[in-house]
Amino acid sequence: MTVIAVDALRKSYRDTEVLKDISFDVERGEIFGILGPNGAGKTTTVECLSGLRVPDSGSVSVLGLDPRKDRARLRQVLGVQLQNGMLPDALQVVEAVELYRSFYRSGADPDELIAGLGLAEKRKTRVSALSGGQFQRLAIALALVGRPRIAILDELTTGLDPQARRDTWRFIENMRDSGVTVILVTHFLEEAQRLCDRIAVIDKGRIAALDSPLDLIKKAGGEPRVTFRTERPFDTTALRSADGVTSVTTHGTQNPETVVTGSGNLLLTVTTVLAAQGIAPLETQVRSASLDDAYFALIGHDAKELSA
Amino acid sequence: MTTTTEKAATVAKTGVPLAGFGKLVVSEAKLVLRDTAGVVIPIGLPMLIMLMNGMGSDGEGIPEFGGLPVLDALIVPMTIVMVVALVGVVNLPSFLATYRKTGVLKRLSVTPMPPMLVLVAQTVVSFVQSLIGVGLALMLAVLAFDVSAPRSPLLAIGVFLLLAATMYAVGMLVAAVSPTPNSSVAIGLVAFFAMMAGGGGFGGRDALPEWLATIGAYLPYGAGIDGLSAAWMGAAPNVLPLVTSGGIAVLAAGAAIMVFRKN
Repeated sequence: MTVIAVDALRKSYRDTEVLKDISFDVERGEIFGILGPNGAGKTTTVECLSGLRVPDSGSVSVLGLDPRKDRARLRQVLGVQLQNGMLPDALQVVEAVELYRSFYRSGADPDELIAGLGLAEKRKTRVSALSGGQFQRLAIALALVGRPRIAILDELTTGLDPQARRDTWRFIENMRDSGVTVILVTHFLEEAQRLCDRIAVIDKGRIAALDSPLDLIKKAGGEPRVTFRTERPFDTTALRSADGVTSVTTHGTQNPETVVTGSGNLLLTVTTVLAAQGIAPLETQVRSASLDDAYFALIGHDAKELSA
Repeated sequence: MTTTTEKAATVAKTGVPLAGFGKLVVSEAKLVLRDTAGVVIPIGLPMLIMLMNGMGSDGEGIPEFGGLPVLDALIVPMTIVMVVALVGVVNLPSFLATYRKTGVLKRLSVTPMPPMLVLVAQTVVSFVQSLIGVGLALMLAVLAFDVSAPRSPLLAIGVFLLLAATMYAVGMLVAAVSPTPNSSVAIGLVAFFAMMAGGGGFGGRDALPEWLATIGAYLPYGAGIDGLSAAWMGAAPNVLPLVTSGGIAVLAAGAAIMVFRKN
């Protein structure tokens, strides 16, 4: 069942065309990722979904509602975490959750929600005294306290340390398991690959690709690669002609590094060919194709700074 | 579209629960109470000034003041106006400008609670704070200096309400035009002192050049002092400055809402 339908969205700020042609559908119960470099139009897209911005043209339907005309109804069923949406510093965690709970006709029990997000010990802590990870968990609590059917999370894990990021991922998965459809805006490829059922890659205001992470990788032609060093240069002819090998590159003269890409059981192919030539590979590494490869193939190298 | 799409009818029509607004007022009240300086200064400073004026006065009735001592006819009205102006023009905008700048209002705009109601909740809390401040000041005035009750109590209440509305409207405008939370305090203080100086808050309007005194009498601060003075003396108030003050309230509130809406 489609819960969000976006069709031919366009939006300009002054002279800059931020969204040129954005169309996608989101199915109930999925984690739908919106991925792209800074300034690609990710936040503007979700702001159109939540009714914060009006598109210049195109249509948006969320749970069958128009985000602008049916604001009041949509607000009751849509949970939103904003990239820079804040709370008064002096408010306590429990006060914030109870306050937000009171805005909704029905919703979660504030104390259960706080405990579920691991904030029980911070109940009485002021917002200003929370760590980045704790604050983001509070942001999740506020997005979920009205028991929304759709949650929009915009760069939820930006600025978190790896442990806090992983904890947050677990909460997002729990969210999906409880039946909430999640729109996840991110620029972390690892996060998108791990969490998302489908990903829309947005670049320069357009959808560059829309697929499951696996299919994105496949379609972008990403292949596994085997990297190894040898004591001295060797003849790579046999390796090049081996079954399943698509490319072989070597660089360096002292302990040269060789990179082999291809399909099938590439590691077995490589070790078999080298053994036949009496060569012992050093520091062998196998890396399967990742979303990174697919992403950079789609976006181009000018987006490299995002690979963190 | 090949798949089924969720029907709008499955989403119940709902508004903001009234309980939500009550909770918002309580929450704003807690935040105001936690801002110690914002609680103490608008209530304590005017009382302190009144106390010092009161100790220096002999309590003798003056014919021009309808036979009332200076304390009753002038100092008490000045104290009341100062409380309301400090709460409305300095305190209120410091909260609202922070909310605007730090995204508190934006975050609310994606919940069923309209962000405008935070402004209303803050105003309710500010009004209660003004009432408490004025109540304490009057208590002190009665206990320490035996100040009399206003001869026209209804006029006193009316002027107080008008004054509060005007000061909060000016405060909202200050919050709306301030680029940062810090600048809202600066702009608020400048607005406060300008109105106070023009309104005779520093030793009476007689000391001012005539044109400035005239302007000051029509601004909310001066109009408030004169209106309350008239109420204490039981004299007829000068209507035009009070009407002007009301007009300023409407204009400032309208302009503030327009600016807030735009952002």
